[in-house]
Amino acid sequence: MPPRMQSRSVSNTLLPYLTATSSYSSSLSSIPSLSSTSSQCLSRQFSATAAPQAQTKLRRQMFEWLNNEGSVFKHHVPGETNYLTRLKQRGNEGSESPRPFPNNQNFFSEPILSEELRNEVYNRVVEQKKSVRVVSVELGIDMKRIAAVVRLVELEKRQRAQGKPLALPYARAVHEMVPTTPLAEKGERQTYHEPINDLPAHPLTGSQIFYPVPESRSFNRVEAGRVFSGAPAMEHSEAAEISHPSDLAEKIMEDANSIGWVGKGANARQILQPADVRIPHPHLVALERDRLTHPNERLAVSDLQSKRLERQDAIEKERRERLQARREKKTTIVSPEDSRFDYRIKDTIYTTETTGVDGRGSKATGRRYGVPHRDRTRGEVKIPTRVEA
Amino acid sequence: MRNRASNTLSKGKIRQSWSKYNLYNMQRFRSPSTTNRTFFQQKWSAKAASRAYHGEQVREGQWKRMFNHRIRSVIPMNASDLAADDGSLVSSGRGSGLDKGGKPAYQKRPIPYTHMTFAPLERRLDVAIFRALFASSARQARQFVIHGAVTVNGQKMKHPSYLLNPGDLFQVDPDRVLYATGHTKTPYERRQGRLARRSAKEQRSEEAEAAQEAEDSKETAKEGTKEAEKEDTKETLKALLAQARSVMSAGKNTLAPQRKQELRGFQQAVRRVLSRSESSTVLADSLEAQFSQLTLLLKAKRSEKKPDKKDVKPRPEDAFATDKGDAAVASAKKDAEPAASDKLSEAFAQATLGNEVDASELSEEEFDTLKRALTQMRDNPLDNSKTYSTPWQPRQYMSAFAFIPRYLEVNQNICAAVYLRHPVARPGSAEVPTPFGESIATPAYGWYLRRRW
Repeated sequence: MPPRMQSRSVSNTLLPYLTATSSYSSSLSSIPSLSSTSSQCLSRQFSATAAPQAQTKLRRQMFEWLNNEGSVFKHHVPGETNYLTRLKQRGNEGSESPRPFPNNQNFFSEPILSEELRNEVYNRVVEQKKSVRVVSVELGIDMKRIAAVVRLVELEKRQRAQGKPLALPYARAVHEMVPTTPLAEKGERQTYHEPINDLPAHPLTGSQIFYPVPESRSFNRVEAGRVFSGAPAMEHSEAAEISHPSDLAEKIMEDANSIGWVGKGANARQILQPADVRIPHPHLVALERDRLTHPNERLAVSDLQSKRLERQDAIEKERRERLQARREKKTTIVSPEDSRFDYRIKDTIYTTETTGVDGRGSKATGRRYGVPHRDRTRGEVKIPTRVEA
Repeated sequence: MRNRASNTLSKGKIRQSWSKYNLYNMQRFRSPSTTNRTFFQQKWSAKAASRAYHGEQVREGQWKRMFNHRIRSVIPMNASDLAADDGSLVSSGRGSGLDKGGKPAYQKRPIPYTHMTFAPLERRLDVAIFRALFASSARQARQFVIHGAVTVNGQKMKHPSYLLNPGDLFQVDPDRVLYATGHTKTPYERRQGRLARRSAKEQRSEEAEAAQEAEDSKETAKEGTKEAEKEDTKETLKALLAQARSVMSAGKNTLAPQRKQELRGFQQAVRRVLSRSESSTVLADSLEAQFSQLTLLLKAKRSEKKPDKKDVKPRPEDAFATDKGDAAVASAKKDAEPAASDKLSEAFAQATLGNEVDASELSEEEFDTLKRALTQMRDNPLDNSKTYSTPWQPRQYMSAFAFIPRYLEVNQNICAAVYLRHPVARPGSAEVPTPFGESIATPAYGWYLRRRW
């Protein structure tokens, strides 16, 4: 066996003694410390001060805090939030929704749906066959959330039927820690879970525009939208037809192509519509207007509203079916008998829009001369950008 | 990738983690001072602090490419305000309304745009898993994805940097979630797990030997399985009781006080029955009889409402009681504890004697509490083969970090969540969870506004 070097600090002259057998080294009384306790010696060699035996100051402070002030965070109290802000909370601040971060005044821990409310949503949509829009208004839950809840409850039911493992104690604990929106008792009003009529801020409205208007003229949201998108003012006759911006909502619902365009070619964009059209529940504005005009005819107003909702649902359904039919018409599905796969075959369209003017458009189908494959181009992301549901 | 995301005390950085070090760091964090510092220095330190929290697992260049100066925001609209005014009231006169009185009260609170600087990172799969409370840190979430425990829309997704699209459903293996959010095992529990594994292995090898011998006589084996089934029910019942005992003895310091009370009340009731049965010289065998009797009783009671509910697997209705109702019941139970347990033990005793229990004596609520304790024990069993301490309890300091942002809809039972939409800012609040205030958020946004590469 070749001699092993124990440490760089050991000089070459000592090597034969160090690697010698124990009987030999024991006879050499001159270097017993190096051979027997060399490892202990060498570890201490470069450090003059002893290693700190106790905790560092920071560590000590941390455990002091954790054992005194911070001990309340160790376990939760069911039904209450337990955030850092409770340490500095004053008496009157409890009414606001809880904040998890003491430094951030603008982030709140919003309530989640309770188990009963979640099941109620599923019940109303799937079993009572109510439309998502109606359930959203009834319970004050965003339409996207309702769709997600139905999906998740469906998945949960399937997993239970299959006997897959569930995380029930975990779910229980989370619902104890986080604020929840409960399902209202029978006869009580359901508390709204979240605002349902959120208007997304359009980038066009970010700019400040100086637009002089005569004081005698009334300038409403429809006209403001046209100014923001750079469209010319409406004709007087056209403007006279619109008594309130929410009239446009119904018009657009009936015919989506009634929205005008500005610009040409690639710069063409639709005229910015008023808030009454762009909110998720435009029918609520119409309902409020009916209420204002007919304050004493509650039944008639609610009747009108239900008819309006039915009409809207019918139109949306028809549109969906039309789109589906068009999609199906474009593709032929071939499913061989003993195959695991379906083949969806689409006709390729070679026009200037799809392949570009020179026929080498980067997004066109198939291999084209002089166009490198997509995954060869620089900076191309190779991880999937979407997963089909 | 080397993990530099340690929660050091000397640096005092805030991380996306539920560690107690992080809690302490978050509690003592103060915004860096601005006096005698150039704008560059202020922005630099703000950027450094916020990047330590937001996507420290993402390279700086990668994040810079994701950054967008345009920030999504929404304004909640009131339908009655929109109906009352078509906008001409607000714009009348010289463009800002004629007088203060007639105008609807629009939201005046400022929108915290700069708190949304890191909104693009919230789209990442690993961050979303952390936000949905499925992992105790973004790093752990990342590991779950890489190790193949996460599916997106039903397909396995192995890229932590996958950017979720609105409507994507992601799901994590429930066992991993329980491991991430639960208590760690004690050395004793680990040892028990090892022993169980060893004995199971020995049993398996014995069975393999026995199977070779038993191939000749199949009829006897059939009888054997029947007996085994009986044994199985006995075993489960025995395990139930043993577990109730061990829960109270082992996890004394770790249990949440409310839960502790609940379990203790249940255990008292069972113990009383035990003492009675011992006095009447009924051995441990009758214990199972009591339990089976009890469960039979419960089932009979239940069957009036739901005839099909009769199995070993837990149902959601009783397995999951909501927090508030639960807390109310628990607090109500505190006062009526001894009386309720007395009645329960009487019912137990009568059941053992073979008498019919007078159902009117036991109120619905008492039945409920008993049933919940039973089902809870069944849902949350003592199982040393798991990677986390059983029965499952939330890990310490979890509640200080427990919140679910609005852009996610989470179903905790199956550990699945839907990414509804991109996070938005609204007047007075921003949806991106960030521990920093305006004095850090705005300089950090300013840092990325300028292109430096």
